[in-house]
Amino acid sequence: MSDEKQQVSRRQFLNYTLTGVGGFMAAGLLISPIRMAIDPVLKGSSGGDLANVGLSVDDITADPQRIDWSVDQVDGWYESEVSRSAWVYKNDNDEIVAFSPVCKHLGCIVSWEGSEQHPNEYFCPCHDGRYYKDGTNVPGTPPLAPLDVYEQEVKDGMLFLGDVIPQGEA
Amino acid sequence: MKWKRSDLQQYVQAKEYIDTILLPLVPIQLSNDEETDKYSAQAEVMSILANGIEKELTGRTMLLPNYNYLKTVDITTEVQRLNNWTVDMQQQPFAHITYITFDSRWKKEEKGLIGNLLWMPAVQTGEIHSKEMQRIIRDQVGQTVELIRSYWN
Ligand code: FES
Repeated sequence: MSDEKQQVSRRQFLNYTLTGVGGFMAAGLLISPIRMAIDPVLKGSSGGDLANVGLSVDDITADPQRIDWSVDQVDGWYESEVSRSAWVYKNDNDEIVAFSPVCKHLGCIVSWEGSEQHPNEYFCPCHDGRYYKDGTNVPGTPPLAPLDVYEQEVKDGMLFLGDVIPQGEA
Repeated sequence: MKWKRSDLQQYVQAKEYIDTILLPLVPIQLSNDEETDKYSAQAEVMSILANGIEKELTGRTMLLPNYNYLKTVDITTEVQRLNNWTVDMQQQPFAHITYITFDSRWKKEEKGLIGNLLWMPAVQTGEIHSKEMQRIIRDQVGQTVELIRSYWN
């Protein structure tokens, strides 16, 4: 007897909880699109994965410099620290540009003036891929697209970088 | 590139560009407590180092899973086994087969090896994830990348 009673109450308990969770989820579904639609600021802040790369804007010059930082990456069950790098400089219009160093041919890491024969260019050590200072691939070398650019933001005089944005074929 | 399916599929399409093998030679042993500490730490550092090199040179270099062997074994008996591995790799057009290790005993066997041996002294391992350690390993990655590039020229 008391067994049966317990079962009922367990089922009820499950019912309550599931309705509760379901309701909560439904509310979430309802709320989030509205929030996103009316409040673009909220949407923007979800790009909060921009990381402070530890470089003051004042230290950025016309000469590309390599910076390294690391970000936490959640990949399925695993959370790990992955290292990122970028080449950062100020272009002729005084805009900050941060290139991903990943070669668009097969992915090796390019270096600014990485070859003495090719000053004022990025150089890929793997198959002599080259890019001009503005990231455009040098025709006739293996890469077929310009270097990717990092999404960026300046906060309190510090540079923040996010995801890479491909620049398309050139 | 690494020993995973997606990379190997890419390799088969682009063989002419990927001409270098990187094979870490990593001793293991469990019989002695103090030694396990040392060799497991070295294996961790080697893994970070090898992955760092692979990241820099991924479009031309294939990092293979470790070549493991028992620390207590007579290393001369490993030479033949390692060479067998190498002969298999050479069925593909790899012009440069590079072994990388902290185990100095390979140095004495270098002449009998088919591939190039990159022996480097083990970094004294403090806290592996400390800033200092990361800087040291990053330096070591840079230097090793230079060495591998010098084989290419
Ligand atoms: S990976 Fe850069 S040129 Fe091939």
